[in-house]
Amino acid sequence: MPGVRAVRQAHRHRRLTLSDAGTTPPGPPGAVVRVAVDLLGGDRAPESVVDGALLAVGEQPGTRVILVGPVEVAQRLLAARGATGRLEVVAATQVVGMDEEPARAVRTKRDATVRVAARLVRDGAADALVSVGSTGAALAAALFTLGRLRGAGRPALAVVIQAKAGPLVFLDAGASVDATPDLLAQYALAGVALAQVRLGIVRPRVGLLTIGEESGKGDLLRRQAAVLLAALPVDFVGSVEGRDVPHGGVADVVVTDGFTGNVLAKGLEGAVSMVTEALLAAFDATPARRAAALVLQPAVAEVTGHLSPDAFGGGFLLGVRGVCVVGHGDASPRAVASCIGVAAEAVRDALVPRIGEALAQLLDERATVAP
Amino acid sequence: MTAAQVLAIVQQACATVLEIDPQTVTLQTRFVEDLRADSLALVEIVEIVEEALAPLAPAGFHIDDEDLDGLTTVGEAVDLAVAQL
Repeated sequence: MPGVRAVRQAHRHRRLTLSDAGTTPPGPPGAVVRVAVDLLGGDRAPESVVDGALLAVGEQPGTRVILVGPVEVAQRLLAARGATGRLEVVAATQVVGMDEEPARAVRTKRDATVRVAARLVRDGAADALVSVGSTGAALAAALFTLGRLRGAGRPALAVVIQAKAGPLVFLDAGASVDATPDLLAQYALAGVALAQVRLGIVRPRVGLLTIGEESGKGDLLRRQAAVLLAALPVDFVGSVEGRDVPHGGVADVVVTDGFTGNVLAKGLEGAVSMVTEALLAAFDATPARRAAALVLQPAVAEVTGHLSPDAFGGGFLLGVRGVCVVGHGDASPRAVASCIGVAAEAVRDALVPRIGEALAQLLDERATVAP
Repeated sequence: MTAAQVLAIVQQACATVLEIDPQTVTLQTRFVEDLRADSLALVEIVEIVEEALAPLAPAGFHIDDEDLDGLTTVGEAVDLAVAQL
């Protein structure tokens, strides 16, 4: 990664330019980005998806949304909102349920909304895919339809966590529960590319999530991965603990397997939700506190809004040949709009070519050190 | 279409999904033990093979999921596909 090495000593936090990365430039400036959105994915679909899509096109000039789902459902919801004709609709009649085995369901249901959306991306009719339905279904649809980037053994779900010290990239948040040291190395490379593009960090520091700060901590997977990561041309800072993720400041990219990653991500989500609710209940306990809460409310809203998934959109499926953003199943319209926004930005930032280049450049080197 | 031609398609699908040399894939190669293909990779391979064979196969050509469950070797996959062509 010579382009990055050359700027190793540069200020870590500055916006990366295309010339730094030396990768395929994005589309022409001002070009419209078309985002295919899975109409039936998510607990609050289809209403929340339609509302989020309308929010997105209202707020994001240059972004076009294509709803993928039953045409009559989409048209009825758009008409009820006085938005007939504002969004393009592409027909798809099947849905992959949260309780279905994703790979088999996507394989069987060729007309599933998420699969048709992926097909639009593959065929060039859309630039990105957004789903707030089953992560496994989105993963399977992306893999089967778009294929994987060279060097990507298994895609990872990468989320940007708003840590106290600043945002960081965390992956895998749950796409692939079984990992190998080699996969964790791939995640590191893809995560570095994402941190460069999304966070503007020239040389992101990579940390390996484990159970202690000292080297050698953790199970066999973590110990082998640490050796591999140290051999890669990334700024590997060693082990990070779970508490380092919400606090931040130790690493810009935190890598782990999808099982552990999902446990931590859901744990953080639950903790934030619990603290917020407890805080609100405490404020509401007495008249005096309610009065005080009026004063404190802006500060509380600032913190909780900062941590809300509504604000930063969903996770990226890294390693597939296309921009795929997966949101929370309980996504609100605001969260859906955020997912659409980050997907469109990723297209403009040429995220997938950058990741493809990072993986391809390092494929041979990685192969020599992988067990 | 001959079994050898189907084998070539399966070899290429394995190479694409698993990033291996297609020539290392033979009729005797086992998906799990030799290629370390997990269930998702196996479905990916089948999807690629189906897509490649679709223009040459009767309408509705599809490898059933039930058949996938018992699939062990590349040779079995080739036989399964050839039987439906």
